[in-house]
Amino acid sequence: MPRFPTRPIARLGGHNGIVHVVAYSSGSSDFILTGSSDRTIRLFNISRAPVDSKVPNAGLVKKFSAHGHEVLSIAVSQGNDKFISTGGDKTVFFWDVATAQTLRTWRGHGGRVNACAFGGEDESVVVTGSWDGTVKIWDVKSNNPKPIITLNDAKDSISDVCVFDADIISGSVDGRVRHYDLRMGMCNIDAIGHPVTSLAVTKKGTETLVSSLDSTVRLMDRDNGQLLKAYRDESFVNTDLKIKSTLGLNDSVVVSGSDNGMVYAWDLLEGEVLHKFNHSERQEVKGKKPSAPTSGKKDVVSAVAFCKTRQEWASGGGDGDVIVWGAE
Amino acid sequence: MAYKRPRPPSPTGSQKRSRPSQCYVKCGTPMSLDVDGDDQAFVPVWKQIVTDEHGRRRLHGAFTGGFSAGYFNTVGSKEGWTPKAFVSSRSRRNKDQSSLATQRPEDFMDDEDFADAAESRQLETDQNFAGIGATGESEGARDDFFGLMTTEDETMGVKLMQKMGWRRGEGIGPRVRRSARLDDDKEGTVSMTSESEQLFAPKDTHIKFFTPRKLKCSGLGYQSDAYPLLKPSDSEVKPRVSPALLSIEGVSKHPKPMKPAVKRTGMGVGVLNDNGSDDEDPYELGPRISFNRTIGKDKKAKNPSTIKPSKFAKVSTGQRHMFVPQKHISRTSSSVARLCHDGRSPLRAFKLLTITDGFESRHKLPPPKVPGAWRSSKQVPGSGARAQSFQSVADAARSSTLDAKGRATVLGEKALPGKSIFDYISKEDRDLLAAKTGKNLPPGLGQPLPKQNKTRGVTQPNDLWTWVPALDKGIAAAALSKGTTGWMPYGEDSKKRARYTSFLEVRAGLKDGLPERVPGTTNADWAQELREFAQAAQVFKPVQGLMASRFTSSTSSTPSAHPGSGSGPSENTLLRAPTTKPDDPAETAAKLGMYGAMTRTAVPFHPTRILCKRFNVKPPPNILYESEFGTSASSKTQEPVSKAAMDQMFHEAMTAGSVMQYPLFMTPQAKGSALFSSAEHAPVDSETNEALLKERAPDDVFRALFGDDDDN
Repeated sequence: MPRFPTRPIARLGGHNGIVHVVAYSSGSSDFILTGSSDRTIRLFNISRAPVDSKVPNAGLVKKFSAHGHEVLSIAVSQGNDKFISTGGDKTVFFWDVATAQTLRTWRGHGGRVNACAFGGEDESVVVTGSWDGTVKIWDVKSNNPKPIITLNDAKDSISDVCVFDADIISGSVDGRVRHYDLRMGMCNIDAIGHPVTSLAVTKKGTETLVSSLDSTVRLMDRDNGQLLKAYRDESFVNTDLKIKSTLGLNDSVVVSGSDNGMVYAWDLLEGEVLHKFNHSERQEVKGKKPSAPTSGKKDVVSAVAFCKTRQEWASGGGDGDVIVWGAE
Repeated sequence: MAYKRPRPPSPTGSQKRSRPSQCYVKCGTPMSLDVDGDDQAFVPVWKQIVTDEHGRRRLHGAFTGGFSAGYFNTVGSKEGWTPKAFVSSRSRRNKDQSSLATQRPEDFMDDEDFADAAESRQLETDQNFAGIGATGESEGARDDFFGLMTTEDETMGVKLMQKMGWRRGEGIGPRVRRSARLDDDKEGTVSMTSESEQLFAPKDTHIKFFTPRKLKCSGLGYQSDAYPLLKPSDSEVKPRVSPALLSIEGVSKHPKPMKPAVKRTGMGVGVLNDNGSDDEDPYELGPRISFNRTIGKDKKAKNPSTIKPSKFAKVSTGQRHMFVPQKHISRTSSSVARLCHDGRSPLRAFKLLTITDGFESRHKLPPPKVPGAWRSSKQVPGSGARAQSFQSVADAARSSTLDAKGRATVLGEKALPGKSIFDYISKEDRDLLAAKTGKNLPPGLGQPLPKQNKTRGVTQPNDLWTWVPALDKGIAAAALSKGTTGWMPYGEDSKKRARYTSFLEVRAGLKDGLPERVPGTTNADWAQELREFAQAAQVFKPVQGLMASRFTSSTSSTPSAHPGSGSGPSENTLLRAPTTKPDDPAETAAKLGMYGAMTRTAVPFHPTRILCKRFNVKPPPNILYESEFGTSASSKTQEPVSKAAMDQMFHEAMTAGSVMQYPLFMTPQAKGSALFSSAEHAPVDSETNEALLKERAPDDVFRALFGDDDDN
């Protein structure tokens, strides 16, 4: 197992509010898109934003501003030329990266849109999950302004959506993860028991990583809904906020933010806490107890993202900074 | 209507002094026709004045900068010009005459004309009108030179009288033989020479009209001087009247008796107007010659002792209906014999009535005496004592010793359905409370009922047992157990439910004694209720299996059992806490960490065709349902709406509601395989129908479901 990157290598600043989402670009993953509550999406070049840079907006490549509310989710297409972003304005924006213009906007959700994902062959659909409890699937290929289908099974807000192959997975605040199997025409509903805040699928697609508001990250078997592993720590707090968790290092570690400004990395198989990081202090925390169990909204780490190509991950939090952690 | 006098638009030739050569010949002097000096001569515009219909000046300085806003210079009226219809055709030509005929003279009248017309409509009597004889007005005007001006036309009465031989200045009546009075002014010096007696007409005296006197009734708080006084002005300001009218002079001038002067100054009454008699009718007609024009002069005159019985006073005292002290009366009556209105002395044995003013003259009749034995028919018999000692509601409430419950019993109210705290307190606690408070507390939990109920129930136990209907012990026990666990009748009436339970307990052998009954009911009612209970127990005895799960206990709105109170027997805690919403088994399993089959739920999912196409997956079998109808449903947008809606409804029907989301292990069997056979890729055999070929369910199931409950 490769060594877990623990050193901050870049600091992407400039956001005026909480960073809700961090997304690596596809391909070589040299760029990071960040969405914030300051209603802007920023595209950063990681290599040009060293941690100790005094230059403001170091590494900022482009700013995308069309949102009228906070940006809550970003999904980058495989071709790296388009991405989608959703936020509090109930609208799905389909961006062209080069021109920083919106190609399409889809309206139809009744509340803020918490999550989005590309899906389908050649990313021909966009799956969004909203506060109104619906998952809507939008057609990129056609000009249809209406969703292809609306999945309104959830009894509460949809907090996250994932697409794996022909499966659409949605996590909801009603404590359930729904796997919509397009091939079988069945929907498997897994009850988690607590409001689900984050979803992630392993590369094999046989497991899902589910964060819920009982301060637990769970690895669930997708086939039968069994619990494979639960990741907890006595200092890991996730009871109130929508915290992103992700898998990294070839699905060997679980990384999750927390309500108290810490980032936790667990070993996937063992379930042991490998590392703890203090996001705002940009350093790893050794020992059992976190250095400063701080409290306050600014200290939340709401977004984590793992680079698919390098040993590198990024965390974004309430202070508006995104820290990229690397091995070197 | 604003007035703008018609003026020549330009100075006439005569006024154009600049060009006198135009007018060569001048005859006479040009005269202005208008009385008010406003000839219609040319006046320059800046000198002209616009007035409104009241002659008020408008447009104050309109041409120098100010103006009067409004309609005053526009059309002249608020409404503007009134349009008039003008219709004229060949057959019916609208002649000028006819249109002129529609105009009324009022159209041409100005305000003064209107005022004149309104004045002429006022009705008033002719100044020269007079009745028979002389009017009072002419009488008053007779004195001095006012009489000279008096013009009296001969009325019909006068003419008739004159034809009968009457002449002016004479009295009416038979002639009187007397000596001639040579000097009319000196009444006192009547020469009584009997040899020169002639027949003379009687004296001209006024006929006295006995008009109903105005009673001076004053309101509350009226402050009047206790003693009415003689009007001093009468003796001082005495008009000169002819002696013939002397006797009635006072009457004609003062038709009403004087009241003592109360010094008041009213609004609009000046000093000169104040003649010292405010109570006099201010609207009284007649000469006001008795004005007191001297301030302060009446001071000494107010003293009654200063009044001297003059010769005028002598005559007029009796006629003026005034209160005169007794000594005055006696003096005057003794000194001068009063005469009647025709100048003669009254008949013998008659006396002139002396009317005194004041309330004492009007004798009041006492109210009629109520006979002692009289009783009003309105009086309610027996309420006399209550009416005597009237109590207000507040007093009655204060003096009452009843509390709310006592009043309720007095009024016969039924007890409220709410439970008291003693229903939850055990007997020991209740006794403790009663001992501490020293009050008569209601019975505690499981305690026997109060005495009055008990005595009534115990009096004839053997007879009453016959009223209790028989019920199978097993059925009663079953119904009772059903009540404690699940549904029970009479959920809306907790007391009746308690009686029902008690009946069941008695019949199940759990309790001795008679079943409970409503206090105050007759035996027949009680028996009727018990029969109803027996039937209900038959009907509502627990059913087995599926049927039982379809019923749930009705929840009561009354507050649930007190948590701190002692736990009583189960039969008394029928009021259960409202059952919480049954948790989703999947959720409970997830809470317990039993992830897996317990937490997984599978529901059919109907993706649209276009979705499957976008994902490049073969549409699932249950999408065939959709494609069967729409063979050309290649594009989602062209699909009929009804199908999508149907699909949506079907999907919702499958997935809606957490109750419907059965755990996975019971999904395929419990939901019936026919509906979701597609999910399992079951081969459809058209030859066989499993639903028909299936074994029939046992008979008892059908009986439990559909059978009559009474037959077993």
